[in-house]
Amino acid sequence: MAQLTYREAAAAGIAQEMARDERVVFLGEDVAAAGGVFKATGGLLQRFGAKRVRDTPISEQAIIGAAMGAAMTGLIPIAEIMFSDFLAVCWDMIANQIAKTRYMTAGQVSLPLVIRTANGSGARFGAQHSQSVESWAMAVPGLKVVAPSTPADVKGLLAAAVRDPDPVLFFEHKGLYATQGEVPDGEHVDRLGTARVLRTGSDVTVVALAAMVPRALQAAERLEKEDGISATVVDLRSLVPLDTQTLLAETSRTGRLYTVEENPRLCGWGAEIAAIAAEECFYDLDGPIVRITTPHVPLPAADALEDATVPTVERIVETIRRTAG
Amino acid sequence: MDVVMPQLGETVKQGTVAVWRKKVGDRVEKDEPLFEVSTDKVETDIPAPAAGVLSAILVPEGETVPVGTRLAVIEVAGEVRSAPSAAAPATPVATGAAPPPAPAARPAPPFRREEGGPRLSPVVRRLLDEHHLDPAAVTGTGADGRITRDDVLAHVARTQREATPAAGDATVVPMNRIRRLTAERTARSVAVSPHVLQAVEVDFSAVDAARRASADAWKSSEGFSLTYLPFVARAVCEAIGEFPHVNASVRGESLLVHPHVNLGVAVDLGFEGLVVPVVKHAQRRTLGELARELRALAEKARRRALSPDDLAGGTYTLSNSGPFGTLLTAPIIQQPQVAILSTDGVRKRPVVVEGPDGDAVVVHPVGVLAQCFDHRAFDGAYSAAFLKRVREILERRDWSAELT
Repeated sequence: MAQLTYREAAAAGIAQEMARDERVVFLGEDVAAAGGVFKATGGLLQRFGAKRVRDTPISEQAIIGAAMGAAMTGLIPIAEIMFSDFLAVCWDMIANQIAKTRYMTAGQVSLPLVIRTANGSGARFGAQHSQSVESWAMAVPGLKVVAPSTPADVKGLLAAAVRDPDPVLFFEHKGLYATQGEVPDGEHVDRLGTARVLRTGSDVTVVALAAMVPRALQAAERLEKEDGISATVVDLRSLVPLDTQTLLAETSRTGRLYTVEENPRLCGWGAEIAAIAAEECFYDLDGPIVRITTPHVPLPAADALEDATVPTVERIVETIRRTAG
Repeated sequence: MDVVMPQLGETVKQGTVAVWRKKVGDRVEKDEPLFEVSTDKVETDIPAPAAGVLSAILVPEGETVPVGTRLAVIEVAGEVRSAPSAAAPATPVATGAAPPPAPAARPAPPFRREEGGPRLSPVVRRLLDEHHLDPAAVTGTGADGRITRDDVLAHVARTQREATPAAGDATVVPMNRIRRLTAERTARSVAVSPHVLQAVEVDFSAVDAARRASADAWKSSEGFSLTYLPFVARAVCEAIGEFPHVNASVRGESLLVHPHVNLGVAVDLGFEGLVVPVVKHAQRRTLGELARELRALAEKARRRALSPDDLAGGTYTLSNSGPFGTLLTAPIIQQPQVAILSTDGVRKRPVVVEGPDGDAVVVHPVGVLAQCFDHRAFDGAYSAAFLKRVREILERRDWSAELT
């Protein structure tokens, strides 16, 4: 086991797949010579060369269009959109073209491509560079949506995304790039659509994603110590496909479900999770399903205001403490 | 397309939906198992009548409904969609059954929040319902005294402990479906029918002689050995011809005497339950036919392959503990029958026989036949005369003639 940062794990995952299959190419803004604005892709240009690791003009549509064309004609592109907020300018290509190509060609053309992007808040970048937009992608049939919370998952799930025959949106979290964790040595490939139970408790089930996972874990520790509330924490890891079996089993076991979401409240992924639980395991629920989310506002840039907006450990603890009885 | 409760046997008027194999929204193929129906002690998989999507389940698991009741709707491609509640129920009018309830994948627990009553969560309502508890009996420890899931589970655990004071280390074995039915029916039978036990000792040497004489031929042509049971069955059927009230049912203040002997034979399912398949019109069958039929039904029972018709319509029952070498068994009557006969172990015993030169002691195979009868139907003298006749037939018949 090697100790890697989340950003090193991203580079390691891309390198692992590029070394395995020469059809895998990597493109994006400042990803090659500069090693990425978040320094998550350093060393790839030196190792794989300028033909396979390409800096592009500042045009997200060009990046996605090139990736789509490359995937159609036999390559396996990994395209980087520097900030997930910028997916909006590519949305016709992603939502209308890439997501639908397999279906509209009756399966004749599949698009094995991965769109990596930096998602989420924490860097005080303001309303246009801090959003959590995984729910946008989740709303489009034909896209797979992955959001890892640990360095090991970044590498393993990225490898699984590259090997998937269909388009995958891979949301890395800006606030997690500096975090460290153990990553298995050698080739590491995980499975899409599998949630992970990180902590098993008997009173409440807390479902989280990406940067909300470590916060949910810290909250669970505090609830155990301060209130005697024993919490299960589930890291969803992937929204599409969604591991409903784990979700429902863990919800039924405790009878209480909380979601912790960084995306804005309206139509966040937690609403979908809550609906599934209400439909499938209503008679195992011992209280209302509670969503802990960012409110439905554009994110502020000021430190204090951003902290007041995105769910914190304190808010998770306080909400569960107030409602779990 | 509507899915209705099928008629699983001529005598079956209703069925219980045991398990839905599909959920609402699932795709089903024609003839794929769609649900399981239990009637009496038999469970049968019912195939889907058409391919399509299961769009509504109208009768939840565990509910018993008359034959013909709409159970579910399969949306067949190209078929005009009809609202699940729009069509008239296919239930026969004569049964007076209410139209099927609104679609529900699972029965809603009955507790409604009364005005000013406690606020109960879904799981609490379900648990209270499952354990037949009144919410007032459970102490709530949640916010504002709310009853939580743990409160109900703790209450159930505590009352179970109190109900079985010595059961601290005991293993709890939940009863399976057959066990529950047997428990319910035997208890009811004993409560309804005053049981009287009478037994006769039978010398099986005539039966044994015929059995042994034809043993090899029978085994090689039929593939199984001949037991005492078909001989007893044959003798009982004949004796019933002379004592027909043994083959009857009590209905109000009358005795319903049946024209045919439908002979039930209790079969043990490897200590996992008891079923009683029935040989229809047993009085018409020869000894050989009875032997084959009894064998076939027992095999079918052990394969768990009996149909509801195999179990229906019994008028008299044999219970056979003989293979275990029992001395005497007092069986419980299968309602609505009025008598049941136990065939117990046949063993070699010294027997006094009267000959021209006086009494002699010889060794013969001897066994006890014990009948329990319902004293409402007839009296001890009638039962005793019937048993005497059964014994005479078994002891005096030239059975070898019946085995050719």
